[in-house]
Amino acid sequence: MIALDNIDKAFGRRLAVSNLSLQVPRGEIYGLLGHNGAGKSTAIGMMLGQVWPSRGTVRVGGFDVTTQRTRALQKVGAIFETPVFYDYLSGWRNLEILSHYTGPVSDTRLKEVVEWVGLTGREQSKVRTYSHGMRTRLALAQALLPAPELLILDEPSDGLDPEGIHEMRHTILRLHRELGLTILLSSHLLNEVEQLCTRICVLHQGEKVFEGSLAEATQTRHYVRLKTGDFPAAVRLLEENRLITGSRDGKYVILAEGADTDQIVKALVAAGHPVFEIAREERTLESFYLNLMQSQSTKTPPPLLRAN
Amino acid sequence: MFLYQLRNELWKLFGKKRTYIGFVMFLLAQALILLLFHFSAGPTRQMTRLLEMNGFDPKDYISCLTVAAFMLFPIAYLLLPLFVSLVGGDLVAKEAEDGTLRMILSRPVTRVRLLAVKWVAGAIFAFFLSLALGITGLALSACLFPWGHLFVANPGEPFAIFDASTGCRYFFAAHLMLAIKAITIMGLAFMFSCFNVKPATATILAISLIFVSSILQNIPYFSDFTPWFLTYHLDVWRLVLAQPISWWKVGQSLSLLVGFNLSFFVIGSTAFYVRDIKS
Repeated sequence: MIALDNIDKAFGRRLAVSNLSLQVPRGEIYGLLGHNGAGKSTAIGMMLGQVWPSRGTVRVGGFDVTTQRTRALQKVGAIFETPVFYDYLSGWRNLEILSHYTGPVSDTRLKEVVEWVGLTGREQSKVRTYSHGMRTRLALAQALLPAPELLILDEPSDGLDPEGIHEMRHTILRLHRELGLTILLSSHLLNEVEQLCTRICVLHQGEKVFEGSLAEATQTRHYVRLKTGDFPAAVRLLEENRLITGSRDGKYVILAEGADTDQIVKALVAAGHPVFEIAREERTLESFYLNLMQSQSTKTPPPLLRAN
Repeated sequence: MFLYQLRNELWKLFGKKRTYIGFVMFLLAQALILLLFHFSAGPTRQMTRLLEMNGFDPKDYISCLTVAAFMLFPIAYLLLPLFVSLVGGDLVAKEAEDGTLRMILSRPVTRVRLLAVKWVAGAIFAFFLSLALGITGLALSACLFPWGHLFVANPGEPFAIFDASTGCRYFFAAHLMLAIKAITIMGLAFMFSCFNVKPATATILAISLIFVSSILQNIPYFSDFTPWFLTYHLDVWRLVLAQPISWWKVGQSLSLLVGFNLSFFVIGSTAFYVRDIKS
């Protein structure tokens, strides 16, 4: 649905995005993570044809955004952090204004979308009277009006209270489930990303430092936490049986290729070792992200423009 | 779709209170000039003397048309450029500043199309502002002065006289030309607005350019270069209130103003096209 191919974006001498390639497959909820200034908004700007890449190609829905912007964005909706509208006009008028930049929209469709986001009854009020939550719903309504196949959400929960964040999370899941939308979500809220996204990309100082499924990021595939009566003896036994390749911290064992936890339990119980607890070690996205950032910050200075 | 988008642009423009400042200030300025004209003897005495010296009966010429034309000069030179620049400077830069431009540009609309819609909306505003200036000027003058012939004391030019019906036609023809002046100044501010600047900067740049051109045009040393200044051609509306009317000069100035407008739009849209739109 979205394909970025070797993208560079320089502002003056500073490279805001460097050699970025990523693929957002159709039907995914794809998370874009990174610290402030990591290049997330610049990358989103390039996907929407608002920021011109210095090098590389950006394709949305199969069309090059730089040369075929109108076709590429025909089925795209977007929401930005802190939604802004024409405050002196009604919500309904705002929706009419924004939707007409895509194409004609019937009153029936407008009503349908207003109802979907839960703004019925307030659509004729001036936007200046709306709460932050209502503005976010209006932003969602304008993004949904062109019946998009792709929704780009840049920090959609920014400034929302906990209830608002919860509501937004459910709305995103509903959009994905009921309308089958592909969603690109840029967020600082790791918990939110963890609950929503199927795939993530982490940016650090304009460069991609991780791309993969959420499971890949949060699961340390080969580490298993084991609580038994005699840990060193259990380790020896498992190594002899070639079920593990090593141990760590007196409580973790490293699974051998092809081995699984059920075989470990079977081997230990058969040898008379009591097994009190066994579980694959799972990391939270937060610990994964923080580790990643820590390792990156010790590595690279901020990129400057490459000399050609 | 263009018409839908234009209608939306007009909703945005005329939904803002600041759009009406120009209309209100024109009314106030006209009311003030009218009261001064009515209650102080100075302007009437000078006009009477000039008319009598040339064998005309002042009673026929000190009319609502004459007073409305008299009020037109200071407003067209001082207030009109200010208020059209204010709106022209806001059209793109204010949306960029507020963040609504980013919302718009997440839609499949080309940047040139967006600018074209905005420019036309700005031109409609400038046209109505100029027309309102003529209508309110004539309506207010008619409250205190009778209907009659038109006498125009064109500063720096010989005076002109028209019978009432011809005068009325030329009075409104001058406002049509004034609308072109207003559209050009709006277009100049609009051009600056397309760059990455604050709305106030675009307005100030446009007004400064008009004032600099006007100052240079009025320095006797540069009299040979007068036709090269933008403000010389912006005065096309005055040519319609002169006698005899030099239609050749009117045509020349109008075609140059069309060229200026096109150039402003092309420069502005090029700057806007290459710009990165960021929050």
